[in-house]
Amino acid sequence: MNIEHFLTNANPSWMQYESDSDIVISTRIRLARNIANVRFPISFTEQDAEQIEHQLMNALLAINRENPNRFSYFKVKDMPQLQRQILVEKHLISPNLARRQKIGAFFLTEDESISILVNEEDHIRIQSLAQGMNLQQAYGEAKKVDRYLSKSIAYAYEDRYGYLTSCPTNVGTGLRASVMLHLPVLTMTKQMNALIQMMTRLGMVVRGIYGEGSDNLGNVYQISNQITLGKSEEVILQELEKVVEQIIQKEQLARKNLLLRAPAVLEDRLSRSLGTLKYAKILTSEEAASCLSNVRLGVSLGLLEPISQRKLNECMLIMQPGLIQQYAGATLQSTERDMYRAKLLQEKLNEQTRNNGEKGEDSYDV
Amino acid sequence: MICEHCKQRHANVTVTQIQNGQQMERHYCDVCAAQYHPFQFEMKEEPASLQQLMTNWFNFVPILKKENVAGSTAKTKACPTCGNTYRQFLKQVKFGCGDCYKTFSEQLPQLLEKIQAGTKHVGYVEEKHLKEKINQQISELRTLQQQAITDERFEDAAKLRDDIRALESKVEQGEEHA
Repeated sequence: MNIEHFLTNANPSWMQYESDSDIVISTRIRLARNIANVRFPISFTEQDAEQIEHQLMNALLAINRENPNRFSYFKVKDMPQLQRQILVEKHLISPNLARRQKIGAFFLTEDESISILVNEEDHIRIQSLAQGMNLQQAYGEAKKVDRYLSKSIAYAYEDRYGYLTSCPTNVGTGLRASVMLHLPVLTMTKQMNALIQMMTRLGMVVRGIYGEGSDNLGNVYQISNQITLGKSEEVILQELEKVVEQIIQKEQLARKNLLLRAPAVLEDRLSRSLGTLKYAKILTSEEAASCLSNVRLGVSLGLLEPISQRKLNECMLIMQPGLIQQYAGATLQSTERDMYRAKLLQEKLNEQTRNNGEKGEDSYDV
Repeated sequence: MICEHCKQRHANVTVTQIQNGQQMERHYCDVCAAQYHPFQFEMKEEPASLQQLMTNWFNFVPILKKENVAGSTAKTKACPTCGNTYRQFLKQVKFGCGDCYKTFSEQLPQLLEKIQAGTKHVGYVEEKHLKEKINQQISELRTLQQQAITDERFEDAAKLRDDIRALESKVEQGEEHA
């Protein structure tokens, strides 16, 4: 598959299901693996790197013959900076891999739900994405690829420490599971700091989702397990699920309370955000993220006209600098980007308004 | 000075970080300093917050640092495969190869106890690994079985035969699942 397919598609099929919860956005699973008896990327040679890529390519060719989910292969060094940035914005590759000058490659399935990062911090990182809260499904998909690869690749694995990884924070299961949550009211009511501290004590990590230094831009947080050794995969997933469910409940409760206490103020604030998205001529990424967050909340509370989560997710994705430029088809300066962002989001939201009434257009893609 | 993170409160904590071998100073208020890890670094690279957290631990805790500098022979021992020393590992917070886990086996448990839930893998057992282990067990049981037959302890031999069969079927099942 051509790289353009992955760059232009802001709505890959894995993102097209409407999830049950309007708080959970997506789920991501990552498995870190290394090949036995080959030095880790921090100390290996370029020849080692080439060799690893070849090994993976051969293993995956066999998958491509058996599996309709075909993998496409790309070398990072062949890609211009903007393309790399877009793939990072879409969470298909890591910023770490995107920065690589010489080594590094990745494999992607056509629906973009599975990517395999080669020679990032570890030789192999299998990543699986799913819409909404779907830890088991995403893990199942990653596991399938993992088991398949292990048929032809001998992993660095030993009894005591399990899967050996470059960083001891990943050793054992090599599993990092994350759930992306939209928590506007917990943020608004300043409950997030206490929650983050609690989650850290429970062995969870909380992060923002957008680019460098973005903190909790758009009130979206990524919550993931920190522990990879001393717990089984099942326990890791269950614990994360439990924590996430509790946070969802807290957010729901906070939303109810807010709605009871200040409905008019809330409706005004959320409606203004929709107005801004629809009519503003210049939108910085901060403003766009904050307005999109408010609109998402407003739609979820029934205070604003219905807009599908799919559309809102797409807007959250395309407002990032790399994708904005991809859509514009040109390199844009920061202020030009802000103008184009306003235009693009307006178009997307107008498409949605036109489509309202043609209900169900999103729901048959099973 | 204003906090670099929240850009609101007064910065009263100076954090020295070593990133890619370069020393950098950052200024935070005590609120952000207490919990900037999850936010400040995560976007640069996915595992960086954890990695940064560890680097910071080592840099923050002077006792640990002193210990390293004093360095026992075990701490200066280099990995035979990649040549990394434990000191280098502490600096990069990354192992050079899988053999580092063996080379630094003395220091690893203390480190892993701090950052993990235990020092023993309890998750999925690699199929190939499991098969090798079972085959090894089978061959050990066969030797015992042979001995039991020679000693005319036929009841023991029959029990061992059943154990061997059970293990063999495990291997076969594993192959079916693979």
